[in-house]
Amino acid sequence: MKKNVKWKIGLTLAVIALSIFLIYPPKEKIKLGLDLKGGTHLLMQVITDDAINVETDQQIARFEEVFKKNNVTFTRAAKEKPGQFYFEGISADQEGKIRDLIDEYTRDWDYTLTGDRVNFKLKQPAEQYLREQAVLQTLETIRNRVDQFGVAEPIIQRQGSDRIVVELPGIDDPERVKNLIKVTAVLEFKLVKAGPAPDEETLLQEFGGQVPDDAEIVKGDPRRGLQGYYLVSKVASITGKDLRSVRRGVDEWNNPAVSFTLTPDGARRFEQVTGQNIGKQLAIILDERLQSAPVINSRISDSGIIQGRFTPEEADDLVVILKAGALPAGIKYLEERTIGPSLGTDSIRQGLLSGLVAIFAVMVFMIFYYRLSGLNAVAALILNTFLIFGALSYFKATLTLPGIAGIILSIGMAVDANILIFERIKEEMALGKNAGSAINTGFSRAFTAIFDSNLTTIISGVFLFQFGTGPIKGYAVTLICGLVANLFTAVFVSRLIFDLTVPTNAKKLSI
Amino acid sequence: MEIFKKTPNIDFLKFRWFALALTIAIILAGILNMTIGHGLKMGVDFGEGTLVRVMYKEPISVSAIRQLLDDVGLGDSIIQESGKSGREFQIRTVETRTTSQTGEEIEGHQILANKVISALQSKEDQQRLAQGMIDLNNIDSRSLTALLTEISAENSEELASRIMTYRNEHGIIVNWDELKKEPVSLPDEILNKLQARAFLGQMTVLSKETVGPQAGKELRKKATQAVIWSIIAMLVYIAFRFKGIEFGAAAIFTLSQDVLICLSIYSFTNREINLPIIAAFLTIVGYSVNDTIVIFDRIRELRKTMRKEPLEKIMNLSLNINLTRTIITSGTVFLAVLALFLFGGKVINDFAFIMLVGSIEGVYSTIFMSCPVVLWWNQLFGKKKKVRK
Repeated sequence: MKKNVKWKIGLTLAVIALSIFLIYPPKEKIKLGLDLKGGTHLLMQVITDDAINVETDQQIARFEEVFKKNNVTFTRAAKEKPGQFYFEGISADQEGKIRDLIDEYTRDWDYTLTGDRVNFKLKQPAEQYLREQAVLQTLETIRNRVDQFGVAEPIIQRQGSDRIVVELPGIDDPERVKNLIKVTAVLEFKLVKAGPAPDEETLLQEFGGQVPDDAEIVKGDPRRGLQGYYLVSKVASITGKDLRSVRRGVDEWNNPAVSFTLTPDGARRFEQVTGQNIGKQLAIILDERLQSAPVINSRISDSGIIQGRFTPEEADDLVVILKAGALPAGIKYLEERTIGPSLGTDSIRQGLLSGLVAIFAVMVFMIFYYRLSGLNAVAALILNTFLIFGALSYFKATLTLPGIAGIILSIGMAVDANILIFERIKEEMALGKNAGSAINTGFSRAFTAIFDSNLTTIISGVFLFQFGTGPIKGYAVTLICGLVANLFTAVFVSRLIFDLTVPTNAKKLSI
Repeated sequence: MEIFKKTPNIDFLKFRWFALALTIAIILAGILNMTIGHGLKMGVDFGEGTLVRVMYKEPISVSAIRQLLDDVGLGDSIIQESGKSGREFQIRTVETRTTSQTGEEIEGHQILANKVISALQSKEDQQRLAQGMIDLNNIDSRSLTALLTEISAENSEELASRIMTYRNEHGIIVNWDELKKEPVSLPDEILNKLQARAFLGQMTVLSKETVGPQAGKELRKKATQAVIWSIIAMLVYIAFRFKGIEFGAAAIFTLSQDVLICLSIYSFTNREINLPIIAAFLTIVGYSVNDTIVIFDRIRELRKTMRKEPLEKIMNLSLNINLTRTIITSGTVFLAVLALFLFGGKVINDFAFIMLVGSIEGVYSTIFMSCPVVLWWNQLFGKKKKVRK
């Protein structure tokens, strides 16, 4: 008996010490959810179709080139929908050659030849892979952008197949961050062939109203004070991928601008393009909007600036997104929540106050009703609360409002466990048993009920955790932690306290 | 101390038909109310739309706010006063009026939210904003630091954090004098410079939540899924532990009626269903299952010693023996939730309300509903061996 008690005391003290170690200091260890501390929660969907579209366009361009190079004739190439395209007007006697070429150049596309058409369809696994990659890259890019922007402890997580959750504590002006995250940030440098012109027709007059094969039309970015249309080369001289570093700089009039340096490969191409086109304009295009079109004054190799009437904030944000890279696919916001810090402060203060009042009221009642044994229950209750917070800190779980509900339920069930045991002890004593053996039977008889009810709720908690989202998950975590702690405190520790304070042969018990 | 000097002897099962009638009546009333009556209000989590919480410097009436919103065509928004000062309100817009062709409905909701906010700002504040002045009651700490640095305050970061802390605690800064006093103690010189660039807007936005239709639908689906699976899991476990499907079924029946009754009562209030409310319902279910299991556990135990007695008698005895415990447990829970209801603040108030209802209803369902269902089940599906009359 004595030996038995010793290891039980040791275990209990160890658990207490461990949870205090885990909780201290609470301000750092207990993470509060956005509903309690304020901040911005964004749920977005990655439009993975974009990635399939890009792949389809690239594939069309590639086969146009391959077919031309190998003298395969065709009249038209067109995209039917993302992941599906065709070449029209092929001649039957080149069928063998076409098959060989396609087999040589791609494995990711199924193709069928019917009449004068060859139809391409993206294979399922390849499509799956592209979509997956688009989500992963988007996640990475958003992470980079948020990190560059400088938010403390952001949460950036994938949810489901194509969703991304971003939580930014302490940000209560979400517009800027939202824009920062959403811009695709495809940066391209292209030669200007004509423009600016007030509309497309005027622009194309000198080309006979047709867009030349090697060119395309872009609009000026109104935010940069550019309204007109420009005709630029289709192929970009350099893109965002060729950037080695970017930082905030100033242009020759001391306006905010972004200066950059290029990778060796990019620098070589840039030098060539600028060298051959001195006197012409070079368009700097971000997300298909022309930012500025400076004249090339001399051959430039590995560095330059992007100018365009930026405000200091805009220049800063451009640096951030260029550093983080472009998004491989567009994103769409599904949900946005901004909780101001004062509402959060209010919630914490009131949550804490009411929580303390609640626990205090329950404790007073227990002592009033069960006397000294009630004190035992109170000790178990305090320990239980410690264990819940210790577990939360260990699992790095965040405490949310529904989480507090979970704690209340588990504390309620902890008290209930004590009540069940105490009532049972009373029953046994009413049958004439002495205190020691009444405690014994009380605990062992009440145990099945406590075990079954706690385990049932734990099981339901596990399923809620598995299938639930955000707040429901938060609820499930605190609930499970609380109930597991409960089995330990109400049954094990409470019993230990009785063993230590009530002599085995005691006749009476303060209960 | 005891509630009952000796174990009471109340024939609870006698009331089972009456209890069933009462349950059905409440649930029917609730269903009628939810379908053709004033309906169950879906919160911003499950419906679509926006929820904006604002706080004013001075008390203002709901009708004044409705007038302001009416001017921009949003007069049918739901406006609720929260808190007791008459300065805090939550405004919920329901419809998307600006749904764009691109299917980006959330952008429409965003525009709506911003429209609400700008409608609630006073004309003077709007003019000041148009002049490029900054609203100290709506600025974030980052921008405030930048502003203070611009007007050459040396320790701008620290000053900004003092101002923000003050605003967070009070919700809104009413006048400049507050910033002069402790704990902000802004030096006069900086205050003067700040007054030239900034103003104290008459209203501040406490929170702004926007959920698109797609996300709303998904949240609803996932919450339903989570609840159904967890209920099935409970059924399986209880049936296994009590060696009889009738006990599992009874527990599930009891908790279903808990949810339905609470939902019915909730539907008669003006409160909305949001994710935390689902957590509250799950908590009620948790307590109810707990209660039911305690009773069933006693039945399981007594059946071993009272083999000759009819199940009905064993049930009554179990209910009576556990009556003190049932009352005390729900009493303590009621006490705890009452504290939340009274002091928990506006965000938690709906949650606390339904928990209060649930803690009372839970006692009723445990005592009057859980056991009869086992009897009815046995009568229906005939396990005559066990029901010896």
